[in-house]
Amino acid sequence: MSAHSHSQGHADHGNPALQMGHHHVSSAKMFFNVLVALLILTGITVAASRVDFGGANMLIAMGIASIKASLVIAFFMHLKWDTAINKIVFLCSFLFLSLLFIFTLADHATRRWDNEMHTVRTPVSNEFVYRQQPHPENH
Amino acid sequence: MSHDGHHSVVIPAPGPEFVPHTVAHHFDTPVQEFQSMKLGFWLFLATEILLFGGLFAAYFYFHESYPETFRLGGHQLDWKLGALNTSVLLLSSWTMAMGVRSSQTSQKQKTLFFCGLTVLGAVIFMVIKFFEYRAKNEHGLIVFSELFHPYDLTTNSLPWFKDYDGVMAGVPHPHLFFAIYLTMTAIHGLHVVIGAGLILWIMKGTAKGRFHAGYYLPVDLVGLYWHLVDLIWIFLFPLLYLVP
Repeated sequence: MSAHSHSQGHADHGNPALQMGHHHVSSAKMFFNVLVALLILTGITVAASRVDFGGANMLIAMGIASIKASLVIAFFMHLKWDTAINKIVFLCSFLFLSLLFIFTLADHATRRWDNEMHTVRTPVSNEFVYRQQPHPENH
Repeated sequence: MSHDGHHSVVIPAPGPEFVPHTVAHHFDTPVQEFQSMKLGFWLFLATEILLFGGLFAAYFYFHESYPETFRLGGHQLDWKLGALNTSVLLLSSWTMAMGVRSSQTSQKQKTLFFCGLTVLGAVIFMVIKFFEYRAKNEHGLIVFSELFHPYDLTTNSLPWFKDYDGVMAGVPHPHLFFAIYLTMTAIHGLHVVIGAGLILWIMKGTAKGRFHAGYYLPVDLVGLYWHLVDLIWIFLFPLLYLVP
């Protein structure tokens, strides 16, 4: 597997107890560094939320969260050293998730947003039925 | 070897305090067992992403529709408790990663130590969550006792949303933020509880010596599950507590 194709900080590679080929043991130092990075990024998330960037606040918050998520996935979840098929399977879920977000928000962006939409009206009310009738002038 | 069903592949124990692992009969080799189980588990995690993804899509849709409702709603949550819980989960993700690492290197006591810390993290998270929910209950923003009561047609109101202090007055659909907040954090909390249970099960197996360098697969998979719980929270924290 790909367990031996990288270099830094993985002291257990020569351990004969890990003989099965698919094992990857990361160094404790690397895990600790990832933890520190995640905690610092949490602080940055809070700090960034205090500043008004207008419409960019959402993008900034989600951008930082995505970096944190990438660190968790790559290092804590070991996906960086996992097989190609496992990478494809898991990362594809985010691909399909983006499709869900794109089409949902496309619906939102192309809707008519006015007071008409928010009025409470039962579908069987006279008003609704009247609106479904063709206009007399068209005949 | 195992095709005929009479011979099992056995991974030897690395020491007297461990027990050997017998590869399940429907697998030919330990590597095949490991790779198949991992693939299946990643596939399961992908479905988890899509489960929460639907809720995130709902969040974004309603947030875009009623941004004032979401910002005002977010202000009713205590971001300090949210940040504390974020740190607790990040720390517990680290202890879980260290627990898996200890299992990979046949360090029984260290595995139990780090897994125990992870369960402690889960307990702290849920205790903080309990106090948060209780505060919402006291202010009538989520009245838990009336959560499943039907919509009141006579008063045109939701039974579980009372807003005793009127903090959400003046925004459209004021209950919406709390509906999303409760749905997402409750399903996430359920995952925390299930994850903690799985880690306790892992600790039991570790104590019995079932998991070691030759066979740590269940520890690895439970670890992945726990990291997913952390992963979801990483997005929930800024969206719910620091509503952009």
